[in-house]
Parts: sequence; C-alpha cells; structure tokens
Amino acid sequence: MKFCVLWVPDFRLHALRRSDAALTGRAAALITGEGRKATIAEASPEAKGVTPGVAVTLAMAQCPGIILRPRDPAAEVEAQRILIAAAFSLSPRVEATAAGRCTVDLQGADAVRTEAQMRLCIRELAKAGLSTRIGAAATPLLANMAAQCAGPLLIVSDTRNFLRPLPLSFAAPTLAQTEILSGWGIRTLGDLTDLTKADIAQRLGTEGVALWERAAGKTTSVLRHVEPSRTFEAEWEYEPPVESIEPLFFRLRAFAERIALELRAAQLVAEELTLTLFLEDETDYRRSFRLPEANADLDSWLRVLDSHLETVRTAARVARVRLVAKPIRAPEKQGGLFDTGLRDPAAFWENLARVSAIVGEGRVGTPLISDTHKPDTFVLVKPTELVPAPADPPIHPQRGLRLRRFRPPWPAHVEFAGQRPAALESAQLRGAICAVAGPWHISGEWWKPKAWAVETWHVELREGGVYQLAHTGDVWRVEGVLD
Amino acid sequence: MSPLATMAALRSLVAARFPQKTRRQGVHMPTGVPAIDEALGDGLPASQLTEVVSAAPSSGGQVVLSRLLETTRTARQRVALIDAADGFAPHAVSPDALRHLVWVRCRTFADALASSDVLVRDGNYAAVIIDLRGIAEKALRMQPGTTWHRLHRVIEHAAPAVLVLTPCPLVPAVSWRLVLSTSHGLAARRMSQEQLAATLTVEIARGHVSDAMERAG
Repeated sequence: MKFCVLWVPDFRLHALRRSDAALTGRAAALITGEGRKATIAEASPEAKGVTPGVAVTLAMAQCPGIILRPRDPAAEVEAQRILIAAAFSLSPRVEATAAGRCTVDLQGADAVRTEAQMRLCIRELAKAGLSTRIGAAATPLLANMAAQCAGPLLIVSDTRNFLRPLPLSFAAPTLAQTEILSGWGIRTLGDLTDLTKADIAQRLGTEGVALWERAAGKTTSVLRHVEPSRTFEAEWEYEPPVESIEPLFFRLRAFAERIALELRAAQLVAEELTLTLFLEDETDYRRSFRLPEANADLDSWLRVLDSHLETVRTAARVARVRLVAKPIRAPEKQGGLFDTGLRDPAAFWENLARVSAIVGEGRVGTPLISDTHKPDTFVLVKPTELVPAPADPPIHPQRGLRLRRFRPPWPAHVEFAGQRPAALESAQLRGAICAVAGPWHISGEWWKPKAWAVETWHVELREGGVYQLAHTGDVWRVEGVLD
Repeated sequence: MSPLATMAALRSLVAARFPQKTRRQGVHMPTGVPAIDEALGDGLPASQLTEVVSAAPSSGGQVVLSRLLETTRTARQRVALIDAADGFAPHAVSPDALRHLVWVRCRTFADALASSDVLVRDGNYAAVIIDLRGIAEKALRMQPGTTWHRLHRVIEHAAPAVLVLTPCPLVPAVSWRLVLSTSHGLAARRMSQEQLAATLTVEIARGHVSDAMERAG
C-alpha cells in the first residue's frame, strides 16, 4: 500500500452533530434548498425511512421527531481540521482532497505499524464524532475506492480482484457513457476491463480510454500537500449567547479533541492552555493553566478545564469562547548525568524506519569503517541512542581537501607525458592536468582469490578542481573530487 | 537626521512590525569554518535553512561538511546527512567524528526530498544536512519552488539547523545563501583542517549582509 484515503461518509451531517449538543443521539438531517424546494441532503441513522433527496415535508411525515438543520460551514471547517490532523499521524504528506476526504502518501511507512495507526485513527476520529473509513491501495484513486468499500478499514493487495465486482459508477463515467455501456450490458468495472483498451478507444474515444484506465486502477495523480496546523487554537461564537456550563464544556471538549490531535500529529505537546470567555457586555474573562506536565492528553486537559469552569461566575452571558494551547517540543527523557540521549526515541526509530523504506534497506545508519585498507569499505550500523563522549583527537589527523566520491566511479582515459598523467578525459570531465600527486599503491587480500590492488593519483586540472584517479589493471576511473 | 540614526529608526520600526525576525535570532550552531560562522553570526541558525553553494570544484564544500561533523561531534549533537548523490566518503573523516551521524544514502533526488521531509520534523537532530551536490543542475531546477517553500514552513517550527549544500543557487527565499567560489589546488593537501577552514572564503549572496558586517565590526 502506497496511499490511503480517510473518508467520512455524510461528513457535513457529522460535522453538524459534533457542533450541536442537541443533535446527539437524535434523528437529524441536513437540508438543502429553501422553502418548498428544500430537500434532505444527509440523514442520520436514527432518522428511519428518511433518505437523501426526499422533500422536507415527506421526511417530517416519515420521522415525526426529526431535527432539520442547514449546513454549518464553521463546523465543517472544524471537522475537516480534525480529519487532517488524524491524517498527519500517518504520514507528513497529506492532501485535503475534498470535504471529509484526505489522501495520504504512505511512501516509506512500515506496513504493520501503519495498519495499527490507521485503526487507532479510526477509533480517535469516532471518539471525536467522525465515523471514518480508511482505504489503502497502490494509487490515490484505488485507495479512494477502497475507502468507499471499507468497513471501516480495507487494505487492497490484489487490485484486479478488488476492482472486478465494483459497480461501474466507481469509475465515474459520464451520463452518456453510462447509457452506452448499460446498453452493452456492462455493469461492473470487471465487465469494462474485459474489453480491450483499444476497443474502448475506438468506440468511446479518449474519454473512454480515461474511463477504462480508472476502471483498471491505472490512473494515478500527484497529491497537493497541505501543511500541518501550526496554530493550536480554536474559537466559537454562540448565537444566542449561553449562560450555563454544559454548552460551554461541550464546545471546549470538541476544541480540545482537535487541538490535542493536531499537537500529536506535529510531535508537540502543550505546556499551557489559555481559556478566554468573551462576554455579552463586551468584557472578557481570561485564564491560563500551566499543565503540571507538558502533554497532549485530552483527558487531563478536560479535567483541568472542567474543574475550573465549575467555579467560574461571570457578570454576563458568554458570547464567544477561545481555547489556545501553547506548544513545546516533548521534554527530553531523563538520562544519565553526562548522557546525550534522544528527545523522542519513538519518533526517532519510526522516522528511521520510514526513511529506510524510502531509500532502501541498508542505506540508512551510522557509518562504521571496516577494518581493512581497501578503499571505500564500510558498513552502516544502527545509530546509538546515546551520543558517546568524543575520543581523543587522532595523532595524525588528515590533511588537505576531503574526498567526495562519485558512486559509481567515472570511467576515464588518461594520457601520460613521461611518467605523469597529462590529460584526463571522461564522459563527465575532461581537461589538461597541471599538477599531480602520487601514485600511492595499496593492495590487500593477496592470499585470497579476489586479491585487490589499486594505484591512486591526485590530479589538478588546469580549469580548476582536484580529482582522485584510480588505476586498476588497464582501467582508469575518476573516484571523486577533493573538495 | 544622520544616516546612522535613520538606519537605527528603520531597524526599530522593522523589529516592531515584524517581531518574528527578532525571534529568529536564537540558537546558532558553530560550523568550525570561521568565514561561515562570522557571516551567519556564530554559526548555522536553528529553525532556519542555510544554503552553501559550491560554485567551483574543490572550493571546500566537503571541508565545510567535515568541519561541521567534527564540531557537532565535540558538542555531542546528533546530525543527519541526507546524501542525494551518495557522495559522502566516511574515510575522509576521522572514525570518531562519525559516531553521531545518521547517513541517508539516497538513490534519487526525489528520495532526498522525501527523506528531508521526514527528518527535519524529527526533534532528535541538532542539524540536518541536505547534500544535493552531484545531482544534475537540470534535475534540481525542475523541482517546483513550492517544495522548498513547504520545507521552509516546516523548518520554521522545527528545532534543527538545516544546511543545504548545492552546486548552484537553488533554494528560493532562503534566509542565508553563502557561495564558495574559490577553487583550491593540490597545494592545499599539506594544510591541516584548521588552516584549510581558515582559508575558506564565502560570499554572502543572500542574507542580512549589514548584520554580518556589523557583527564583524
């Protein structure tokens, strides 16, 4: 799996229910349009018999206690932010694809760990009132399809068999295409991909080819990454103003859920919370809480806020509320008196695993020079958690410019004037040599079948630049630049 | 009003209007190369991106890298090296100066950018070095500027100092761009690292030149 999509079905209704305590556990629906033209856009599971698209009057007849509400853009923004924060806990490369939908680039992520993290995401978002489905697959489009079929998590490993039974609508055909294809008896993606791409191109043109590629899961796209939130605050205006603690605490809980998730996604914690209540009489009440231990733990925040709010008495009703968390890096873990340990060991190892998956196994680590004179022989070892104290400086430190290698070395042709190289020619580099040092002969493992021997020169080109040449047998190579 | 007074008034106005500028003047990490440390004011600034351009071959880019490794090793700070062209030679540095290093040997430029995206967010590194030397200039230029702007945004809120070593001026809107343009010859091979580092000269192609001159007196 390379991508995953987090999708919240009926997102706008979920967002609304998060923001309005009166809707909790009740039959509710989101309406669109006005007056007699108003219809149901999304309905909660409690609203039995009410389906999207029916007229409001019909919905009220079907479900007498139903609560009808228009869209709430502010609540949707808040819910979208919590979804994005959850997506950032999976990977730093996140696209806010649409309202209630995020696509995450999982390149380099460990599969087992990521699956566990996805399940955790689903649980946390459900606690925050967003019932989320996650689909993971090889391309963003496939992941999106998987999310629509997920219950609540689906990881697609066999793309062909996954796509085959899906209805044609998953490939988003146009109306005209749907009519033509249904006339041909094509109902599923498998039916369509049974036809060859060339046949489709001949009959339906380029749009048909694009449809076929979507149906075959071969379409991919470039994600437009979003930035994680850097301001950890939330604000809400009450209309009408409130005078009891319940609506205040309901709102603060929703804020705290979102801010805590955003902090964790940014690998930060809060050291201080600031609560501001803007009152109806144009005054405000402000209180900062320094947390006993910096954290991003929702329950401990709510305990602090709840126990304080119960003691608050204001002269006027609360018209607006704001919660701000002051972020800091997670404090360093306690180590020995002279230890220089890791600030966040879990993030360190997880990020190394992620980078290792990006660049390849065995290509990340601390270099350890092998006990041999053979050039460029080393191994990469696991970094230590503690940076040890430095050793005494070497008795004979290296002098001069340092080598930067060309891997693999560049094959070259060297012309000699007497015993010294006079000109160098390779595909990447050529020029007259104005100064040389060397040669240095080194060899080793002469007792083994794979004995090695190399002659090394340092040459300075007239145009500038000092290069290291290696001569093995009849072959010359430019090993690197002394820089 | 004298030019000096005008300048002072202008500075205080800028400081009042843009308080984040003063916030940036925080922790610096010495590189061990006097010319660079003087130009930047005590070394690489934390939470900022600094670009060092190796405009000529053998202009000392690798000396800067090895001096930074040695200095951070002495301070026992962890360093990540994201090596886009896989050019780092461990033998060119003393074995002890490698023990705090996490070396990422990339295969492509895209690998380097993806790895940078992960590691600059990690709070465990004091410095992240992104070495793009050895990558074709054309490939570097094809990368949209938004990639770098995104990295800037991430670094602003992250702890490490980020050094980008490039073969040509590359990073848009970078805080500091220093150019190493003097090519050294074979004569430098007998010089100690301290002597060599002391002879390196940098040209400030982008940055707060007046601040640097003021510090230098």
